[in-house]
Amino acid sequence: MARLVLMFNKQVVKEYPLMKESVTVGRNEENTIQINNLAVSGYHARIDAAGNDYILTDLQSTNGTFINDKRVVSQKLSHGDNIIVGKHVILFVGAGAEAADAKSSAQKSDLDKTMMLDTAKQKELLSKQKDSGQASETTAKIGVISFIEGADNLGEVELKKKLTKIGKADTSEIQLSGLFMPATAATISRRPSGYVITTMGGKIKVNGEVIKDSVALKDFDTIEVGKVKFQFYQKETSEKQG
Amino acid sequence: MQAKSYGITDVGLKRDGNEDSFSVQDSLGLYVVADGMGGHLAGEIASNISVEIINKVFKKWVEKDASEEEVFGEPDVSLSRKGNYILGGIRLANRVIYELALEKKEYHGMGTTIVVLLVTPSMIIAANVGDSRIYLVRDGEIERLSKDHSIVAEQVEMGIMTEEEAENSPLKHVLTRNLGSSEEVTPEIFEIEPANNDCFILCSDGLTDLVNDKELLEIADNETEPEAICKDLIDLVLKRGAHDNATIISVLLTDIQRPKSGIFNKIGFLVEDVIIRLRKFVKKIIQ
Repeated sequence: MARLVLMFNKQVVKEYPLMKESVTVGRNEENTIQINNLAVSGYHARIDAAGNDYILTDLQSTNGTFINDKRVVSQKLSHGDNIIVGKHVILFVGAGAEAADAKSSAQKSDLDKTMMLDTAKQKELLSKQKDSGQASETTAKIGVISFIEGADNLGEVELKKKLTKIGKADTSEIQLSGLFMPATAATISRRPSGYVITTMGGKIKVNGEVIKDSVALKDFDTIEVGKVKFQFYQKETSEKQG
Repeated sequence: MQAKSYGITDVGLKRDGNEDSFSVQDSLGLYVVADGMGGHLAGEIASNISVEIINKVFKKWVEKDASEEEVFGEPDVSLSRKGNYILGGIRLANRVIYELALEKKEYHGMGTTIVVLLVTPSMIIAANVGDSRIYLVRDGEIERLSKDHSIVAEQVEMGIMTEEEAENSPLKHVLTRNLGSSEEVTPEIFEIEPANNDCFILCSDGLTDLVNDKELLEIADNETEPEAICKDLIDLVLKRGAHDNATIISVLLTDIQRPKSGIFNKIGFLVEDVIIRLRKFVKKIIQ
């Protein structure tokens, strides 16, 4: 997919995949690419899909739109074009272009080196996006287990630890009793992919089936550890999860 | 538990210097890879310093059994004590690099990624900042124990971009977090339970740019020795053009005792139960 890369002071600010037929650039919040800078007009420029190509049109902006330092009214975009809007530069990356120019392009070799995003700029932009409701914010979630049977007075327990031990031992985050309950029957770990339950010697059933080693937990899975039965789900939390 | 490991780094075919650093410490169970960035020698220095600091402070804190409050910065209650040692070490390394970069003009803009793996008989701790990775190969499956801090990875998480698009994006190498660019840093840290024959691969993006997860799994599954895994992977990187420095550590865990449920274990649990009850009883009497 073709995309636009918004840059400021040679630093990447954000990347916009060209998913819609038409993309607008300007200071007004309604623009797809909003640039909050006085040098940019409310509705500054528009980029329209035309077959496999994209056409840039200047919307009679006060300060003009430039492609590679040339002022334009309307022009077809080529891979690697720098669209200049005020002090910002928008790099046009054509569809499938990455693979084609991997060998030769100087553009690519620049980006080939690992570099750090300008954090101050990024934070500023992210906070602006939050204000205008553009960013699809990822809400932090925390796992909860809710006891159904066999454990008195436990109710609901939030999985506040990265690794939660379930068993009879005093050091267990969730301490269960029972004659045949192992010191650690199972653990629940929070991993990059989500929560995972692992048997540590106890007979653990997830949705009625005995697990061999580990399984990923989904919302409302029922877990049985010996005679204790509980349900897993995730809820949104105000605390930030690392 | 036994940990067998091997570490290797290669400058590659396109770069003049190697900005990666790594350390392998079987006695501590501590493994670190760092991929530096910044002009002249700055990248190399940043990665080197961070590996050294993390090793040094971790060893010190373990030796004196430091409390969570003694390590650098606010403790994280969701982590174990050793998890907090790793967190403190990464924070400290970040601060040192950050201040060095401010102080000296030639160090301006220097930074590094970091991945840290700690293996103990009761817990595995994996931490990262940036786009170097930790993989776990267990039971014929590969899983990432790290989260990339890059624009594309964040867009994938938000659902704006697919994994495939991220793989081909020209912004693949633009990081959103590293050590050295701001005063504070928040690493990803995961704690999981170890299992017998767990195989870990720590690496810089010089490897993962050219070798995908499936290929990593194949090699890790075919070889039994950490050294062979590392060498196979480096060979593959060189064969594919090695445009960047590549660093790989492989760690294999054996002799991890995880009780299986059986009659003897049940008797064991029963004895344990009696002991725990007895202990509680004694506690009550004392009180």
